Amino acid sequence: MTERSLPADGASLEAPSAGRGRVSSGFGRYLFKHVSGAAVSLLLVLFSSFFIFRLIAGDPIDQLTKERPVSAEQRAAMRAELGLDRPLWQQFWDYIAGTLTMDLGESFQYRRPIFDLIVERLPATLLLSGTGMVLAVLLGFWIGTRSGWKQGSRFDKGHVATGLVLYSAPTFWLGMIVILIFARYLGLFPVNGMRSPSTPPDFWSQAVDIGHHLVLPVLTYTAVVYAGYLMIMRSSILDELGSDYLTTARAKGLRDDEVRQRHAVPNALLPTVTLVFLALGSVVNGSIVTETVFSWPGLGTLFVNSIFYPDRPVLQALFVLFSSSTILAVLCAEILYWFIDPRIRRS
Amino acid sequence: MNPHALIRRCFSAVAALALAAGALAVAAPGAAAQEEDTDTLRIATNQEVDTFNPFKRRFVITYETSMMTYETLVRMSAENYEPVPGLATEWEESADGLTWTFKIREGATWSDGEPLTADDVAYTYGLLIENQAIRDWNIDFAQNLVSAEATDESTFVLTLASPAPAEVLSREVYIVPEHIWSEYPDPSADDANQLPLVGSGPFQVTEYKTDEFIRLEANEDYWEGAPGFDEVVYDYYVETDAAVAALEAGEVNIVGNGMQGALNPAQIDALKSQEHVTTNDVQGRRYVSLTINHGTVTKDGTEFGDGHPALKDPFVRQALHMAIDKQALVDTVLDGSGEPATSLIPSIFEQWHWDGGDKLVQFDLAEANRLLDEAGYARGADGIRTMPGGGEPLNFRFYHHADNTAYATIVEFATEWWAELGIAVEAQAIEQGTLNDLAYLGEFDIAFSGWGVGPNPTEQLGMHTCAVLPTLTDGSERSSENSYCNATFDELHEQQKVESDPGARAELVKLQQEMLYTETPVIWLYYQNVMEAYNHDRVTGMTPQPAGGMVTGQQGFTWSYYTAQPAGTAEDGGVPMGVWIAVAAAAVAVAAAAVVFVMRRKKTVDERE
Repeated sequence: MTERSLPADGASLEAPSAGRGRVSSGFGRYLFKHVSGAAVSLLLVLFSSFFIFRLIAGDPIDQLTKERPVSAEQRAAMRAELGLDRPLWQQFWDYIAGTLTMDLGESFQYRRPIFDLIVERLPATLLLSGTGMVLAVLLGFWIGTRSGWKQGSRFDKGHVATGLVLYSAPTFWLGMIVILIFARYLGLFPVNGMRSPSTPPDFWSQAVDIGHHLVLPVLTYTAVVYAGYLMIMRSSILDELGSDYLTTARAKGLRDDEVRQRHAVPNALLPTVTLVFLALGSVVNGSIVTETVFSWPGLGTLFVNSIFYPDRPVLQALFVLFSSSTILAVLCAEILYWFIDPRIRRS
Repeated sequence: MNPHALIRRCFSAVAALALAAGALAVAAPGAAAQEEDTDTLRIATNQEVDTFNPFKRRFVITYETSMMTYETLVRMSAENYEPVPGLATEWEESADGLTWTFKIREGATWSDGEPLTADDVAYTYGLLIENQAIRDWNIDFAQNLVSAEATDESTFVLTLASPAPAEVLSREVYIVPEHIWSEYPDPSADDANQLPLVGSGPFQVTEYKTDEFIRLEANEDYWEGAPGFDEVVYDYYVETDAAVAALEAGEVNIVGNGMQGALNPAQIDALKSQEHVTTNDVQGRRYVSLTINHGTVTKDGTEFGDGHPALKDPFVRQALHMAIDKQALVDTVLDGSGEPATSLIPSIFEQWHWDGGDKLVQFDLAEANRLLDEAGYARGADGIRTMPGGGEPLNFRFYHHADNTAYATIVEFATEWWAELGIAVEAQAIEQGTLNDLAYLGEFDIAFSGWGVGPNPTEQLGMHTCAVLPTLTDGSERSSENSYCNATFDELHEQQKVESDPGARAELVKLQQEMLYTETPVIWLYYQNVMEAYNHDRVTGMTPQPAGGMVTGQQGFTWSYYTAQPAGTAEDGGVPMGVWIAVAAAAVAVAAAAVVFVMRRKKTVDERE
């Protein structure tokens, strides 16, 4: 459900309760506190990833030899090749040392280095969820601002209702509906994948082909997540509505649009910075279901394929990657907050 | 500049960057050059490539690519899986069954133009004998090989340690080019994955993008004539529903065996209404069965596991068998797409299949009750039978795979039927990995199982011999299907393995099946049909296997894809014109919007001043 969890508001707002210090040392302490917190989280992720995926029962060799009888010797040969015959502590050590040196091991299913698999898929995922995220944030903020400004209007009611309906629709179902309408019946867009194998290799053909394939997944992804940004922006604007400075602005004779754009919006945007950073963190893992429906060759598809297999080393690596990108994004948001929110510096 | 404008510009910049960078990163590696009017056979798949090395592949998808890229000495016929000439035009078994002489086809070449000779064949079989890793991966066959040599350009002689006619003729050893493979430091490793692959078959793998597509290009100089299509492309679909939509939309030509967990009856019904689609609902190679824990033992006789004692009694197992209406299961669970099973080998292999004869068990609840009454399993006060002389009630743990809805339905039926016998079951849906673990530990009473059977029945029958019983009780040795061990069965098994006469061998194989059927360590429920569909507006002339059978999931040679002919006109040559027009229109619209926006802003500024 990573796609639609509303980022916890104010995760970064906890202020140190200690007395006031000088600004520079205050920042040092603030930084140290949050960096060390992130480091501890990363370590926990690293350790737990190894054990979590060992809870998935079953012998990996069963999957490798599915539907085909094999002798005990063949099983042993495969076990040795996958390193499964080594003692657990040694596997654990290999995993830790490997992860720290970017040698993530080899996938059971793909029989290739996991690092290569991830590097190969990262661009596809960034393209899909990056585009979708930017669109969702822009759309959500734009509609949210106007909805909040004219609270209770037909525009407000209509958009909040639409947004929430899409937000509650299962991504999987929405994706299939989108495929049926736009690919199957209207034939405007391809059903699956990121590009057609028969597209000429030159840059423009490839770019257009990828753009063509990108439309439906991005549409689905954006439709599902934008309501989150809409609601946050809307409530943020609502908080500002009664403020004195808006009355002052109006008293200066500014038009309503200008009061909103030049005065209300900048103040309302501040609390949403965290949200945007958390969103950046989930760009890496944010589109698992969308990727699956559209067979988009990204990290989400890799993750789903690995769960079904189950491909333990890949799951381990992706778990670490997904978690650490979120942890690092939160850390960035916290550091940024020091600079944009004076209240933290003062406390 | 106010903060809002700044943020907006940042957003725009980030958006543009993300788009451009992503597109670049993805596009830069570049695809292979394509000609505009290439005839492409597009097949849906969802299975990963484990390795293109034909000696180490395990997956169905790489079985298919190996079968197209390389060739075997002997093929399996399209009519009925009988051995027919492939790279070998004729062969001869010596009187003692230990020496095999093959005449290698003259005029066959590798896809790089080099001639294919008996030396390549000797080199390939030599790898099975001498390369330790390749030998280990294929040990069941390789351990019986003594020597492989080319006595001249077109004669290959294979020497065995013990006779194994069926294995020699049906074992698919893909002949690889010595002039390429001998350059590899380790032919058992990933060197063999270097693309394009060089083989002698009708299509060679030339390009592979993980989870996107596999491309195989036609071998124009194939000795039997160039194939009808210029290339075969496997397209990846994670979801079968998406593959079905793509078939309907004409984006993919074939959906079938390439998709693991392929089409279901509902999807086939939907496809039947499409004018351009042909659906196939034909005999398959797969059976679904119930494994009964009749007592798990190791090779030295140590019992382990905790199976219910009543299941050790053949009468109880037969009563359970008799109380299953297999036809009803086929009708309801499979929607009629299958047939009731007798024993191990599905009827698609008509030469090996045993039809039950006069031993065929009929669905008869009264007779099953009588069997149990006679064997002394009296009903208790609650209607549940107990062990003879009182004691433990007949209450069996019944495990089924959590991801399989068909099995869940079967459990409901069986529970009702067995309740009529005074037998209670505790059904439990279990995740596949855990279920396997429990099954091999012997910690179950009744559990689902299912296998795809190959054209050579030895492998499947071998899973019921004493030789494959585990030596340990920890469930780590998983070669025995259910601890079945019977000296007579083993004797028959050894005889059928060395029997060269197909008719005589079939008799032995049928006797083995009859033994399994009457002793009932397993209840075979049904043989499941294969469901596949293809676009006959684009593809014609595919040869099915067996006669009137499937076009995907073929064995021993890629009859259907080799004989497939393109029909109609393909429109998937690059980016369609409509897309270019749409892109141009979008660009114009964006430019217009930008102009309007700038004008409006200018106007506001003017007003303000």
